[in-house]
Amino acid sequence: MTPEEIIASGNLELYVCGALSPEEVTEVEEAIAAHPEVKREIELIEESLLHLAETVAPPVQAMTWTYILNSIRNVKNIGDTKIRTLNWPAITGWAAAILFMGGIMWMLKQTNDLNNSLQVTTTENTVLKEEKATVESQLAENNKTLEILRSKDYLAYTLLGNQAVAPESFAKVYLNNKEKVAYIDVNGLPTPPSGKVYQVWSLKMEPLTPTSVGLIDPENKAGEGIYKFVNFPTQEAFGITLEPEGGSQTPTLSQLYTLGMISI
Amino acid sequence: MEQPNDLIIAMQNGDEKAFSRLYTMYSEAIYGIIYSIVLDEKTAEELLQDVFIKVWNNASSYSVKKGRFFTWLLNIARNTTIDKTRSKAFKNTKKNLSATNFVDILSSSDSFNRATNAIGLKKFVDALKPACIKIIDLLYFKGFTQVEASKTLELPLGTVKTRNRTCINELRAMVLG
Repeated sequence: MTPEEIIASGNLELYVCGALSPEEVTEVEEAIAAHPEVKREIELIEESLLHLAETVAPPVQAMTWTYILNSIRNVKNIGDTKIRTLNWPAITGWAAAILFMGGIMWMLKQTNDLNNSLQVTTTENTVLKEEKATVESQLAENNKTLEILRSKDYLAYTLLGNQAVAPESFAKVYLNNKEKVAYIDVNGLPTPPSGKVYQVWSLKMEPLTPTSVGLIDPENKAGEGIYKFVNFPTQEAFGITLEPEGGSQTPTLSQLYTLGMISI
Repeated sequence: MEQPNDLIIAMQNGDEKAFSRLYTMYSEAIYGIIYSIVLDEKTAEELLQDVFIKVWNNASSYSVKKGRFFTWLLNIARNTTIDKTRSKAFKNTKKNLSATNFVDILSSSDSFNRATNAIGLKKFVDALKPACIKIIDLLYFKGFTQVEASKTLELPLGTVKTRNRTCINELRAMVLG
């Protein structure tokens, strides 16, 4: 068909309306490509139909476009990976927020750790203070004892170890004859086995008469390894035996650890 | 009017500005087509939105090498609108749509978009032969194929074609001067 025939056929009008069969569409499209006058004719048909439809339309609300724009922006990247854009300000914002949260968590942890270690230190401090107070009071006690023992009113005696039972043992007795007070230093004696206790005896030689002075137990303690005894009977000798807990009426001589004579 | 291929290609590449300009050029006519079918402004507005969202989302399915952009728009608009008119909800509100054509709309409506243009057209449309009104309504506004129009009007195919051409020619003379 010549361009004129195609224009006169009525196919171009149907083509613009979208009412043409697929075969005729191909024919029209070939003619459009080949003949500028066919294309021009198409444009004129389209323009008049466009105007006609516009005339029928009520006023379009401005909101319609806003709505369309919002919709396409919300779904812009779905199914279209090619033009996916990165929202750097948002990414930066989120990154900053995450870093900030991380920082806060870290600082909270630090504070928590510090609080814990402070608590531990405080506890340790209290323990140390208590220990210090104990040591100080012990020191004061020891000094007091030392002060007493150094005074001229006290005489010192060494009780030597019994060769048969404890040859290496010894004990020291500091005696104030006037006030009948004695301090006994048992550092030279081995630690008594469990269930046993050392008992101090005052001995009269002729005939051999033992008198119990007391037990080496915490009740009499006057300092580290030093025990105090009052109303100490002045006799000729002192001995220390190992006795069952609670002490004995008479000394168990087989367990005599130390013995010393007094030269009055 | 030459087809704005540059704008169409830009839109296909995701250019919102180009899309906005195409919307300005074509939305009124598309709205007119939709409105002539549903005859309800609110429904027509919603459909116009749906149509242009579809245009954006399916932009890549159109090729400037094949077919007119306006015809492509027309098909989307008609299909979207016809789907709507087939929906149950729509059927319940509207009963007798087929009785109305674009001339009825023109003669019953007071407010048109391009007032001056509309007045001129109104006069012309009043003068259009009833046969022309019927054929343009079916082929252009209602999206009938030439075969369907031929059956509905009980005319041979060739007559549908030539009558349609004559009627559009008359319209052209009036609209484009």
